Amino acid sequence: MLIQQILLKIFTAFQNERTLSAAFHLLKGKRSGQTIQDVGLFQLHPFFGLLPKLTRGQFDEQVDLLFAKNYILIEENGYYHMTEIGIKQASEALLFHFDGWHYRGNEHVFFARVSLALQSLSHQAAGVKSFIAVEKDEDVQSKVREFLVRNQFQQQTLQMKIYLEMEQSLEKIQVNEQVKTIIVYRLSGFQEPGLTWQQMAFGFHMQEMDIRLMYGSGLHQWLNEILGDAQKYPYLYQLAQGIRVDLMLTSSANETAKLYKKGHSLEQISSIRRLKLNTIEDHIVELAMNDVKFDSKPFLTLEDQQLIINASEDYQTKKLKILKEIIPHVSYFQLRLALAKGAHY
Amino acid sequence: MQLESYLHQYFGYETFRPGQKEVLEQLIAGQDVIALLPTGMGKSLCYQLPGYIFDKPVLIISPLLSLMQDQVDQLKQMGEKRVIALNSFLTPAQKNYALHFLHEYRFIFISPEMLLQPQVKARLASLELSLIVADEAHCISQWGYDFRPDYLRIGEVIQVTNRPPVLALSATATTKVLHDIDHYLEMESPFIYVHSVDRPNIHLVKKPFALKEDKLTWILEHVEKTAGPGIIYTQSRAKTESISAQLLQRGIAAAAYHAGKEMQDRQFIQHQFLSGHLDWIVATNAFGMGIHKNNVRQIIHESMPSTVANYMQEIGRAGRDGEDAVAFLLFCEGDEQYAKFIVLEDLPKEFHVVRYAQYRANGEQPNVMLSNGEISEVAFRVVHYWMERETVDQLKERLGNMQTAKYEEVMAMLKIVETTSCMRELLIDYFGQQVEDKRENCCSNCGVDLSVLLQERVEPKNQNPMTDWKGRLQQILLRNL
Repeated sequence: MLIQQILLKIFTAFQNERTLSAAFHLLKGKRSGQTIQDVGLFQLHPFFGLLPKLTRGQFDEQVDLLFAKNYILIEENGYYHMTEIGIKQASEALLFHFDGWHYRGNEHVFFARVSLALQSLSHQAAGVKSFIAVEKDEDVQSKVREFLVRNQFQQQTLQMKIYLEMEQSLEKIQVNEQVKTIIVYRLSGFQEPGLTWQQMAFGFHMQEMDIRLMYGSGLHQWLNEILGDAQKYPYLYQLAQGIRVDLMLTSSANETAKLYKKGHSLEQISSIRRLKLNTIEDHIVELAMNDVKFDSKPFLTLEDQQLIINASEDYQTKKLKILKEIIPHVSYFQLRLALAKGAHY
Repeated sequence: MQLESYLHQYFGYETFRPGQKEVLEQLIAGQDVIALLPTGMGKSLCYQLPGYIFDKPVLIISPLLSLMQDQVDQLKQMGEKRVIALNSFLTPAQKNYALHFLHEYRFIFISPEMLLQPQVKARLASLELSLIVADEAHCISQWGYDFRPDYLRIGEVIQVTNRPPVLALSATATTKVLHDIDHYLEMESPFIYVHSVDRPNIHLVKKPFALKEDKLTWILEHVEKTAGPGIIYTQSRAKTESISAQLLQRGIAAAAYHAGKEMQDRQFIQHQFLSGHLDWIVATNAFGMGIHKNNVRQIIHESMPSTVANYMQEIGRAGRDGEDAVAFLLFCEGDEQYAKFIVLEDLPKEFHVVRYAQYRANGEQPNVMLSNGEISEVAFRVVHYWMERETVDQLKERLGNMQTAKYEEVMAMLKIVETTSCMRELLIDYFGQQVEDKRENCCSNCGVDLSVLLQERVEPKNQNPMTDWKGRLQQILLRNL
């Protein structure tokens, strides 16, 4: 199950240095210093805030299951140990990718906007002027109202334009078809109410929590696609304004990023900043990890990037040493860059 | 202008439903009114129409946020823009704005908590209102099934002199409750309109079981055989989930509904039920408020409700269209014990009072009891309200009386379950009324032939709701272009 695999990943990342609660706070997206620091310290960016509505009871239930499967041992003080089979299980690849840290719950705001916009357009097309809005939030309502007016919804051409954008962008993202289905069935239209989590869980023979996680994963990747190409998706791009949190580089990496964007080479930056080239490369990797729009082509051919991603998936490892043995002609920098970019897909 | 022409102009109806005109005439004459109108009989119109007749705001006090939202939605759907809901969801900025322009609204909905805030109280005192409405007025009575201490304090806000008429609305109320409404709202010899609580087209069936487990088997078989739409009421969230899951397994379009579901899901379920995508809802008593579905054909109570008022309210969601409907009451020896447990759940216990007094004596805020999880929110509100007015001993005695009264409620319900004479007569008698329109197939004890009342279930066309995503997206955006 997805939730358990995620928990194992988190538990592994914490390397027995945190209590079980730390994982709970991470998944809930708690905005406390400790949780935020943990994200950076243990590189848990993808998992931040994946389940904002998670209750402690639900969390404990999953932990108990991991215990029952003998993946973890729980100590009385709230700490835990991974067992050998737990560690082995944890190393299995996650089938879904997340980008929690970049969205921090805002993905749901984006979806609320899309949802209300579509509900409005659907009713407009059917000639129905009044309906009960699926979204009550005033901010969402006023954003959508502005959006509709700005794009001259009265002409009734917006429906087709948005349809095409949604079709293309969802088509493009590399996620399971089920994920796209989940996203689309959470939307409502005229005489087309959305489906509940329970109904989807029943339809797909899965747990509700896994459905929610897949939905979150889908939203993250959909947003990355939309935000990565404003030209291609002008309407969805408008709805995605202010959703992504991009100020996430360390200040030093930010300095490097500024110089890089001005057109300096890595060697030039190294000498301007009087820092080792290695350090500058670290910054570039950090930049690549945090910026979807980052173009890695100057450092890495698409072919090599694909080679690395494939190898990483085939051998289910992100260990540089192993990957280097498999693909000897690429540098460690290129490996890290490819893996960093890979975190987006 | 005639009332009928207002009705036509603003609502598009030609005639009033029973009771509406009587109530409106009294209100227009400046008379206080208590109106007991069954749900679905157009209660809201009794305050909506005055909002258009008079050019001053109507203040509606509403105890439940969900209900308030539903009524606001309804008005907005009718195209009314001058409507505001003052409740704890507003940000300070929104609240200030709303208060500043309060006189501009036609309909002001407000929660009792908000009503008591000094700033709000002061603003309301400076405002000329056309009407004050206490919706779900039975909440004011501890004898009612949904006592809210805050409601008792509405009287503090309603000015004694120079005030507009007060309208108290409720679906059902016993004479005791009626008296409390009159008393605590400080009404002046109100005109009381009581609509018959009887719903002759709802047929009452009880089903005794030797074992609790047999109930589930019966429900599954029954729902598989007979046609909905229907609602199954059960008493725990977990049961709503498990029963609905088993119905789904059998290919029945069912969904669980309870207060633990997120807002969006609850909304989806309501829409699906209304639009006919869903046949059965398995719910706790959280479901029903604001459901405007006319053709519910069956209600099944998986277990005995804790009060007759609850029972009446819940079966009343069937057959709003006037066509035949059946209410099943499943019963098993010992169900009344569970009902007693449920009914006392939210009643504070003596030790809560003692703890409250201790905290206060130590100079601590008693509401830490809430954050410590020592007491439920409803129970705390009750203790908090009375501890400001009574001594510990007085309150203990009061709680003792309340408990006895609650047990009596359960016993009254049990009597209806156990009676061997007409169930309907006993039920209606509870509300101090008599059965006037007794029809064929009245109840189990009078004799019921289900084959004339229920249709056979038609197997739905094998429709997997989750088809391809593009198809659905087209359905939403492009179908009607």
